[in-house]
Amino acid sequence: MSYETWALALLFAPLLGFFLALVVFRDRHNVAAAIVIAAGSVSAAASILLCVGGPQPTVSARWFHIGDITIAFGVLLDSRTLLMGAVVGVITLCIQIYSLGYMAHDPGKGRFFGFLALFEWAMLSFVYAPNLLQTFIFWELVGLASFLLIGFWYQKPSAVAAAKKAFIMTRIGDIGLFVGLILLFRATDTLDIESILTLYAGSSAGGAPTEIIAALLFMGIVGKSAQFPLHTWLPDAMEGPTPVSALLHSATMVAAGVFLFARFHELFMAAETTRMAALAIATFTAILASTMAVVARDMKRILAFSSISQLGFMLMGLAAGSLFAGYFHLTTHAFFKALLFLVAGAFIHRCGSNDIVAIGRQGAARTMKVTTFGLIVGGVALAGIPPLSGFFSKEQIIASLGQASPIIVAGAYAAAFLTAYYTFRMIFLVTRPDPESAAQPAGPADPDHAHGEPTWAMNGPILLLSLITLLISALSAGALVGAMSEDPIASILGQASHHASIAEMAPAIAIAILGAVLAFFEFGKKGAAQTGIVARMPGLERLLANRWYIDAIYRHTLVALATGIARVSHGVETRGFDGGADKVADATVASGRQVARRHSGRLQLYIGGAAILFALAVVFLGFRG
Amino acid sequence: MTLPAFTMFALLLFCMGLYAVLARRNLIAILIGIELMLNAASVNFMAFNYFVAPDPAVGQIIVLFIIGLAAAEVAIALSIILAVYRQRRAIDIEQLTEVKG
Repeated sequence: MSYETWALALLFAPLLGFFLALVVFRDRHNVAAAIVIAAGSVSAAASILLCVGGPQPTVSARWFHIGDITIAFGVLLDSRTLLMGAVVGVITLCIQIYSLGYMAHDPGKGRFFGFLALFEWAMLSFVYAPNLLQTFIFWELVGLASFLLIGFWYQKPSAVAAAKKAFIMTRIGDIGLFVGLILLFRATDTLDIESILTLYAGSSAGGAPTEIIAALLFMGIVGKSAQFPLHTWLPDAMEGPTPVSALLHSATMVAAGVFLFARFHELFMAAETTRMAALAIATFTAILASTMAVVARDMKRILAFSSISQLGFMLMGLAAGSLFAGYFHLTTHAFFKALLFLVAGAFIHRCGSNDIVAIGRQGAARTMKVTTFGLIVGGVALAGIPPLSGFFSKEQIIASLGQASPIIVAGAYAAAFLTAYYTFRMIFLVTRPDPESAAQPAGPADPDHAHGEPTWAMNGPILLLSLITLLISALSAGALVGAMSEDPIASILGQASHHASIAEMAPAIAIAILGAVLAFFEFGKKGAAQTGIVARMPGLERLLANRWYIDAIYRHTLVALATGIARVSHGVETRGFDGGADKVADATVASGRQVARRHSGRLQLYIGGAAILFALAVVFLGFRG
Repeated sequence: MTLPAFTMFALLLFCMGLYAVLARRNLIAILIGIELMLNAASVNFMAFNYFVAPDPAVGQIIVLFIIGLAAAEVAIALSIILAVYRQRRAIDIEQLTEVKG
């Protein structure tokens, strides 16, 4: 089959799956799940085939013309979209299979799979978009799908609130993106992404218009990829089912923001000031979020904070000028973060609790071999310990910071250190529980939500993602020691990877191992206190556990302000406009009643009145005329 | 005989009819009053036709029309009055006030 067929199958399979699962087979859960997984398999296979096949000309279908502008939908097949598409396809398929096990007992299973297919369709269409309009439409659809999935358990008020929060926070960024895309269209006079990139590639003449466009686009990225100050929605998004978190945090939703940065990398490179601001924001976010993860006890929340921090890392690499570094970390992170979320889901499924101390106390790690294996592979990769994939990509990012200011570099090292620390804290608390320790499980485990050992449907994807993580690690390690001429991901991207020498890598290795060792002495060693260094400073712990009070500040300022405005508007609306309209209507009815009461129904009175009026009129007109 | 004499007669006739319509309570009497008013109009037409109009035929045609119309009107009005009488055994207009507000 030709590549065009695969490209179309790739996009239409999830759309068809979404329609059939949600509209036709919503209540026949297993049929819906089977359809969606079949569609996911088609997309995954097609995306891998296309990725292996290499770049091809754009496939597109014209929608309509306006003047010289052609609006089209299509599939852009260059190195960036191909790699991202394959990542999305494979991870989504893994998560769909995993959901078979995780959502087996859920009464809304059919709906869930329908939404998963919608999510996949939106994300793939966004990734492969050849023009700005398609980019924007599917960017918003990705937001919609994540809204639906975060609020999937809509009976739970907290889930509804989280979904609303996610949607509104990302919408704030989307305003910037929308205006930015319009300005970009005005500046370049074309919607076609490839022509726009050619226009900006190599042009050092940035100037104010380019800076403004880049800053507005970055605003959208800040919202979508949960960077400071719009990061607060992501931890709350944990209210959704765990497979959703896995999807949201690895290949879709938050990755969309980073992908947009990579997609318009040439544009951002031409905007020097915005690039530096983005670098600073990303570094700050990376540190901020990892400090929050250090004290979190909810397994999914630890992973959520770590996602924010790793997204900061990706944007640091991209903003520092290395497309490969940021993209590489996006790819490796997608796999090991999806893996970690699936692992967390398996533990939660088994123990009925999100608390890492509680999970550890139940001794789940001893019986769940596959899950624990996945936890260690994903955790070590996340911590950036060689030779696993996270190390290579994070080292690339730190290497790309070469010309940046020392503060940024120090920030990157600090975030890397904290990442290793909180990751190993999680691993040790889950795998080496110490009943004597001071840490107490947060409340009793909820037996209603414990569903027993994970089935093959859950273990399979965990195993597969572990193997993919190991495979990427092996390929990168091979490139490093010279067994392969070039890093495979770099060769797909057509970029040069600049692996430093071992000596230059030493600080990155040391900092990660330092974090892991500190975690070992506090949590892993026999008889360790298992409380952590931060717990000895109650003030600091309170600050971190309350997420630096950023949510509280928002609640008391912006949210209070918006609520106040809404209340005033509501008053004006109900009492002012509605009340006024009601008064007019009431007066009309009342006057009608009054007039009607004067009507006696006596015909002769009417006729007499008419005759008198007529006579008067004649007399008056007669005298005047 | 002059035109004012005829118009005064017609006015008298019309006022008698109007009085009947306004003052009588019996539906039949009111109908007769209406007939009087129609005839007053006919007299007016004939008078003006005779004294003023250049072509005498027009006024006569209109009067013929009025007579035909009056015949039809009487037929319909009498049947309505009959129907009212059958339904409520009364043709007193004071009692027919259902359409008031």
